Amino acid sequence: MKELNDIIQAYEKAVLQNKQTALATVVKVEGSSYRRPGARMLVTEDGVITGAVSGGCLEGDALKKAQFAMQQQQNKLEIYDTTDEGDSRLGVQLGCNGIVYILFEPVKQDDPNNPVQLLRKIAQHRKDAVLITGFNENKYAPQPGTYFFINEPESSLNNEIELNKEGTRVLETGETIISKVENNSVLFQFIPPAIQLLIMGAGNDAQPLTEMASILGWNIIVADGRQAHAAIQRFPKANKVSITSPADILTAAEIDDQTAMVIMTHNYNYDIAALQQIIKTNCRYIGLLGPKKKLHKMLNELKENDIAINDDIEKRIYSPVGLDIGAETPEEIALSVIAEIKAVFSQRSGSPLKERKTSIHHRV
Amino acid sequence: MKQPVYLDNNATTPVDERVLQEMLPYFTRNFGNAASRTHVYGWIAEEAVDHARERVATLINAHPKEIVFTSGATESVNLAIKGVYEAYSSKGNRIITCVTEHKAVLDTCRHLEKFGAEITYLPVKEDGRINAEILEKSIQSSTILIAVMYANNEIGVIQPVQEIAAIARKHNVLFFCDTAQAAGKIPVDVINDDIPLLSLSAHKMYGPKGIGALYVRRKDPRVKLIAQMDGGGHENNMRSGTLNVPGIVGFGKACEICMSEMDSEAKRLSALRDKLETALVALNNVSINGSTEHRLPHVTNLSFEGATANTLISALHKSVAVSSGSACTSALVEPSYVLKALGLSDERANASLRFGLGRFTSEEDIGMAIEAITGSIKNLRSQSVIN
Repeated sequence: MKELNDIIQAYEKAVLQNKQTALATVVKVEGSSYRRPGARMLVTEDGVITGAVSGGCLEGDALKKAQFAMQQQQNKLEIYDTTDEGDSRLGVQLGCNGIVYILFEPVKQDDPNNPVQLLRKIAQHRKDAVLITGFNENKYAPQPGTYFFINEPESSLNNEIELNKEGTRVLETGETIISKVENNSVLFQFIPPAIQLLIMGAGNDAQPLTEMASILGWNIIVADGRQAHAAIQRFPKANKVSITSPADILTAAEIDDQTAMVIMTHNYNYDIAALQQIIKTNCRYIGLLGPKKKLHKMLNELKENDIAINDDIEKRIYSPVGLDIGAETPEEIALSVIAEIKAVFSQRSGSPLKERKTSIHHRV
Repeated sequence: MKQPVYLDNNATTPVDERVLQEMLPYFTRNFGNAASRTHVYGWIAEEAVDHARERVATLINAHPKEIVFTSGATESVNLAIKGVYEAYSSKGNRIITCVTEHKAVLDTCRHLEKFGAEITYLPVKEDGRINAEILEKSIQSSTILIAVMYANNEIGVIQPVQEIAAIARKHNVLFFCDTAQAAGKIPVDVINDDIPLLSLSAHKMYGPKGIGALYVRRKDPRVKLIAQMDGGGHENNMRSGTLNVPGIVGFGKACEICMSEMDSEAKRLSALRDKLETALVALNNVSINGSTEHRLPHVTNLSFEGATANTLISALHKSVAVSSGSACTSALVEPSYVLKALGLSDERANASLRFGLGRFTSEEDIGMAIEAITGSIKNLRSQSVIN
């Protein structure tokens, strides 16, 4: 989502400067590659790049191809074979070992449904979406390009029944796929909304957490009942800083299943007040700073007050918060918390990849 | 003046109109140098070359990166044989070829002999094909290359390519096959036929003159070549020189058309060829040279007893354009070395004509040709002792 937001911003800037742009999208990968299908890069006519389609080895040629597509006002597909050591076009080999298909689409500013406008519409809603992009693996055949997106089953007002059906399926499974529709290949890219991070407690240790989440492009809300703490000057990277007492925390943000909350007021009563509220929602991750003993005490207290704590809620509560990386300082703790949230949202364990038996990416 | 019926399609073929149309923009508007990386003129040219390379590769079931564009089959032959000779000099200096090869192959081998190469020239059987057993026996530890053509340019006879390839593989010797006459006419498949080095020419398949290609296999085995033209490192360092973009574009289109029309054309042309052949053989004392079983569908080479090729060609020149053998040697008045290799007498060799039909040969053309040739033969024979 961060990349998409950056691309949307870069596009808006280019439009203001009356510059043409082209969008490059990784639509298919065979073997291994740094970026997966759905990775995007915006190129302006004067060669400014936002986003990335590789670890750097393809950007040079991709820039040229994007400018070529702009010049010809025609979608183009390029197939980069990084398994071929004899390919002089790619220059220095970076040890990638895959075939990467990249689609280049000149972005037509006057088209309200151009690919970047579609991305913008996706970003406007905090909803899962599926962006549907057509391409032909024969690079000399016409390249359809980005068709449309859906964020509700069968929501699109067009006649592409086949695309709608498959898109709806991807919306349900949440897994990006490539399938054949008629003569073309189609990338059905699942795009969840950006992670929303709600931090209860605006102490100094919330500052590095905000900084790191900002690098990832997360939507950050910092809340605290204390006016002196909940100050935007203290959290310049937060999207919103809210003076809200823990009992009213649900008024500070719209909680959805793409939300992670970290409760870190360093005050038992405030923490439990916030916890009592957040467990009413479908918040995906509830991190609670403090030892396990404290969590048990709180859960018992809530139960005594007849507040039901079922397995589902307990599963979503992460306390002590963070991954086991030996974090001590506020910055280190922030790192371990951010990593844990990322792992939870990706449904991964957070353990070293070297111990992983299966492939790193799921095959598209 | 009415043009004579063209039956010399082994010498060259006209450029197909569809090929020409695709080439034209690359002379003027899209004139860029395919090696120019910095602007759109170059990008357009590069894209066109990439597309053509893919089309050429598809015709022979190769990978586009295995195609090296050259100025034609002769250059491809030179690059293949000399390039291998230089690159594999540490392994040996022996090359096996065949007496009925095109002059491009034979002269290149003669040239290498001056630099120490040992060349074995295999004989052919009377049907024009080599004997695979003799080939296998000729291989020595210092043999680095077998150069045998796919189909002969004078008699259209197809060599036992897969057998040759199997022997080459068994003995770990490279196999180079000139397919100038065969590619685009009959299926030529570098994988199925197992050919690691193969030459192509555009103007034999309704593409432009001055463009050809060498297929150089990348793996199993990876063929090493020493470039014979230095300067700029074009074509993966195997053939320097600014790419002939319009020619390459035309070559690509020509390959695409041949690919899609090959089956129907082969059927149509072999029927017309058979009609011509049957009618001429019926004149008596006319014989077919070379194998009729293993032969290109559009070619026949006939000996006309009681006539000489030169007088016949001369008598026919207004109605039928034919030749007495390979175009490259017809300046000489020697009997064809190919026909001589089949065991023909000088007299019979000198009484032989090659008929090469093509995409633009119509049934009507064949009818006219039969009529004209029949008339000339009867006329010539009435003037000589044989009737």
